[in-house]
Amino acid sequence: MADPTQSAPAVSTHGAGASPAPGATHEASGAEHGSGGLPQFEFQHWGGQIAYLLVLFAILYVLIARVFTPRMRAVIDERASRIAGALEAARQVQAEALEQSRAAAAEVAEARARSQALAFDARAKANAEAAERSAVEEAKLASHLAEAETRIQGLRDSAMASVGAVAGETAQAIIQKLTGKAASAADLKAATALSGGAA
Amino acid sequence: MADPLHQFKIEKIIDLPDVTLPGLGQVDLAITNSHVAMTVAFAAIVLFLTAVTSKAQIVPGRLQVVGEGVFGLIDNLTDSIIGHEGRKLFPFVFTIFTLILGMNFLGLMLAFTATSQIAVTATFGVLTIGLVLIIGFAKHGLGFFKLFVPSGVPWVLLPVIVLIEFASFLLRPVTLTLRLFGNMMGGHVALKVFAGFVAAAVIGQIGLLGIPVGILSIGMVTALTALEFLVAFLQAFVFAVLTCIYLNDVVNLGHGH
Repeated sequence: MADPTQSAPAVSTHGAGASPAPGATHEASGAEHGSGGLPQFEFQHWGGQIAYLLVLFAILYVLIARVFTPRMRAVIDERASRIAGALEAARQVQAEALEQSRAAAAEVAEARARSQALAFDARAKANAEAAERSAVEEAKLASHLAEAETRIQGLRDSAMASVGAVAGETAQAIIQKLTGKAASAADLKAATALSGGAA
Repeated sequence: MADPLHQFKIEKIIDLPDVTLPGLGQVDLAITNSHVAMTVAFAAIVLFLTAVTSKAQIVPGRLQVVGEGVFGLIDNLTDSIIGHEGRKLFPFVFTIFTLILGMNFLGLMLAFTATSQIAVTATFGVLTIGLVLIIGFAKHGLGFFKLFVPSGVPWVLLPVIVLIEFASFLLRPVTLTLRLFGNMMGGHVALKVFAGFVAAAVIGQIGLLGIPVGILSIGMVTALTALEFLVAFLQAFVFAVLTCIYLNDVVNLGHGH
């Protein structure tokens, strides 16, 4: 930096105060602070700075405590409450939808149960009708059967009766031929009744 | 090369007569560059907070997001460190944080950094410890001194521990003051030194050597400026965190200490 030849005039000027010579300014300011150290320790400037800072601090504190913080908190709180409200509403809507879906499911289940009951009833009715119809048919068939049976019985009885008569006549004819005289009707009757009974 | 300490020199811009204030004694009312820097920082904070909060909306705009971010940062801090009662102390911590942050940032853009003045940082430190003392004595009376007697310490060690705790308490305002002051001043001195190298290289004071030195130095200045922005934020944040911790000590004295 400054060579030895320049330092001599610098020392001489520093007593006179600031010098315009570029080489000398460093020396001059260095000498100025050399004794007092840092400029921050020039205590004559402390009072004014401290007092002013205290005033600024007090004003800013009041502004922040009374104006800015309440405003900021109001906005933040309102946002929080808005978000909480929206969440609550969404939750409510969700619950409502869940409720509705549950109701719809219940309705579907009920309808299914009803239709099942209906189907069961219909089947039961159809079954009953069919059973009734078949019972009627059966009864009709049974009556037909019984009728036919009685007719057959009657026919058989009449046939049997005519068999008795034929047997009597035959027996009379046989007796006439064998004995030459007609057998009495009582004898014949007894004989055919015997054989008829045996047969 | 310019003196790197010259930037910290208080210079009177408008000289006003001295007055004697009670407690502070003779006070020079002159408006200095420090006053101007503090005022600009103060005005910037008020403007910023006004812009953020005056048209605050439920769905925030860009500026409001930034403002709410800063607000939430300190709100979380007071809430998590101090707890339930942190809300009452929030304005104090927020004021300290914004003022320091504003002055730190403005120091990187203006020629003067108010937070590189011990007078300023000491005021912040003393304010913090003053509030700690006020809350401590107002809430607990003489029970405040339990702060220096940690529970669960063997009684043999107690005198030593109490002495250490007391000394560390006394040093709190000093460390608060010097940490902020040292960081800001150190950063600005480093910036100024490297910027001075660049200037020396540009005017050809160091000849051909100026080419590599200038290039390196301007790179350093750029990198340091970025670093200083980080430091500016970090120091304000650290100050706020420590303020919260010290306040918590007296607000929740006795439980969880």
